Amino acid sequence: MAMLNGCEFPDDLLYFVERTQMTWVRLEGDELRVGLTDPAQTRAGKILHVRIKAAGTARERGKPIATVESGKWAGPVMAPVSGVVVEPNPEVEKDPGLLNTDPYGKGWIVRLKPTQPAEVAELLRKEGALAKFREILERDNIHCLRCQA
Amino acid sequence: MSATGAGGTPVDPEGKRILMIMTTGPEDPDKTYAPFYTAALMAAMEIDTTMYFLMHAPELLRRGAAEKVPLKKGGNLKMFIDMARENGVKFLACAESCRDLCEIAEGDLIEGVKLVGSATLADLALEADSVISF
Repeated sequence: MAMLNGCEFPDDLLYFVERTQMTWVRLEGDELRVGLTDPAQTRAGKILHVRIKAAGTARERGKPIATVESGKWAGPVMAPVSGVVVEPNPEVEKDPGLLNTDPYGKGWIVRLKPTQPAEVAELLRKEGALAKFREILERDNIHCLRCQA
Repeated sequence: MSATGAGGTPVDPEGKRILMIMTTGPEDPDKTYAPFYTAALMAAMEIDTTMYFLMHAPELLRRGAAEKVPLKKGGNLKMFIDMARENGVKFLACAESCRDLCEIAEGDLIEGVKLVGSATLADLALEADSVISF
């Protein structure tokens, strides 16, 4: 587990870091699990609402798969790769606070079936990801905090 | 909540157009932030979202002005304007309001604001799926 400014970055994940997007991706067979990273949930603040695209929705890379609201931040969660939504996380839809309290565990957002495998290879990992996160954390002065469950 | 509206009926906001008309300026800070927040959220939902600023509202778009609009929740208006722009909200300012009421030249506006005439407001309102006024 790497740490930057108090933010956790598990070593076994891939990362999508583009413009305002900071999401993680876990490979699970021929599917992916996607969620917000620690700095993404910190920047959003206590998340109050989440809307996730329904199962079966096809998304191109960079198009929203969910929207997140915290009262101080509202924005899209972009698809890290092109794919089809297999399952939105029903627990997060019921309790959006899981995005803050357990971003890499129960707070996953969606399971996705990729349709462009080459895009998966373009996701960042380890040092490549950390270099980009370091730049953003310094630029936006983000220090991670976890809301209590 | 997936693809279900507040009324329980399925909705697909993608590709819809919303026009938001903003008339409040920095004289009433409490009424400034919600329109930008809502517009940012709508754009994140892939709704084609345009904010049209008239009367004293263009004052909010003057360079350096948003930083001087304090919010009760802390911080200032700039972060909400930035968030709306990052999410793809389009900003149009009424040329007449800028010239006659606010005395703002185009060069004094923040980046990305387009000056348009009142006829554009009519076009946008007729083309939009919904018009919201603040």
